[in-house]
Amino acid sequence: MSAPARPPAVPAARPEQRRSMVVCAVIGAAVMAAVDEIVFHQILGWHHFYDRSTSGVGLLSDGLLHTAELLALVVGFFLFADLRRRRALAPAHARAGFLLGLGLFQLFDGIVDHKLLRLHQIRYGVDVTPYDWAWNLGGLALLLTGVALAVRAARRPGAAE
Amino acid sequence: MHPGTAVDPGPAGPVTAAAGLLAAAVYLSAAARLRRRGDAWPRWRDASFTAGGASLAWAAVGSSPGGPFTAHMVQHLVAGMFAPLLFVLASPVTLALRALAPGAGRRALLALAHSRGAGWLLFPPLAALLDAGGLWLLYRTGLFATAREVPWLHVLVHLHVMAAGLLFTFSVCGLDPVRRRWSPRLRGAMLLAAGAAHAALARSLYAAGPPGTAFSASDLHTGAQVMYYGGDLAEAALAVVLAGSWYAATGRARTRRARADRNGTGGHAPRRDVKVG
Repeated sequence: MSAPARPPAVPAARPEQRRSMVVCAVIGAAVMAAVDEIVFHQILGWHHFYDRSTSGVGLLSDGLLHTAELLALVVGFFLFADLRRRRALAPAHARAGFLLGLGLFQLFDGIVDHKLLRLHQIRYGVDVTPYDWAWNLGGLALLLTGVALAVRAARRPGAAE
Repeated sequence: MHPGTAVDPGPAGPVTAAAGLLAAAVYLSAAARLRRRGDAWPRWRDASFTAGGASLAWAAVGSSPGGPFTAHMVQHLVAGMFAPLLFVLASPVTLALRALAPGAGRRALLALAHSRGAGWLLFPPLAALLDAGGLWLLYRTGLFATAREVPWLHVLVHLHVMAAGLLFTFSVCGLDPVRRRWSPRLRGAMLLAAGAAHAALARSLYAAGPPGTAFSASDLHTGAQVMYYGGDLAEAALAVVLAGSWYAATGRARTRRARADRNGTGGHAPRRDVKVG
């Protein structure tokens, strides 16, 4: 393995706060992408396998997003396991990161995918406005909760790394 | 082109099936030889390689359910993704290098594994291009329709799908000792690129079949979905192999360092986060 791996020589319990947050944000974004795919694509069938992404760019971006979600989930869990193995997980930061990831993905999907790129809409054949508001406000709520948790985690005693 | 007229590939099917089973037999006997000698060789690797040979044989001669396009896609998934993964997981090159007696055969294999040509072919971006690029050529040009009428081309296409799948899997997993081991970062990036190309192609096949063919819409949809979700499954498995080997390697490095530290022999490396590719 060519990765220059230099974990601490002595397994001291020293939480890595920023890393805990980033790793869990990756997992959060991947989980929300999977929820979107499973609930809306497969169970409800609101927007589907292949939508109006008729242009090559739209198609490839969808494939990229889908593949990235899958890889992020796997890589995220192994990085998480590595943090735990090294006793470097900072739980409060991890929770904040997870919510930030959930919210960021949902807002990105709602604004960039749905509105800017118009890859797909949440639903077809109905007035989409309430769905858009619900999806984006839901994402915003998750994001703000994540921010609040992050602020609280940073204020904890001994938080400075 | 009528949907029902699948080309008869002649003796290629039985020959492929026989080759798959023969490879499994050779692998098992080599592993047995190692164990007789007293070397350890995990049983799960035997199981993995045997399953690879058996699934390849099934894909070559068995009949899969569904319409002709769906059946083709199932065959393609097994021969191009799942059988290669099962073969590669079994570390066949490592086994061969250990089982072969020192001599011309062993030297030749070592020379091949360390050759410049093998190094280039296993360069992850090239392996990804050969694999995903070949698929785009097959399904987005007239190649697929032509191959259904010309038996030797049909055989050649299947050989390419198999060889490219094997090459890509080998290059992403990086388990056997070859000329150069690429970073998990590069291999992961190529997995992402090839996976995205695969997913995008599957989605486009859902809407429009390969040029020059007339499969029924339901056959096309099922086949495209088989390709999409089957590809996901293979890709997730590859990601687990890649991330798992990174996890194991960093764990080993950590143990080594801790031991060196205890013995007072290790140089103190500055604290640094472990990065992943």
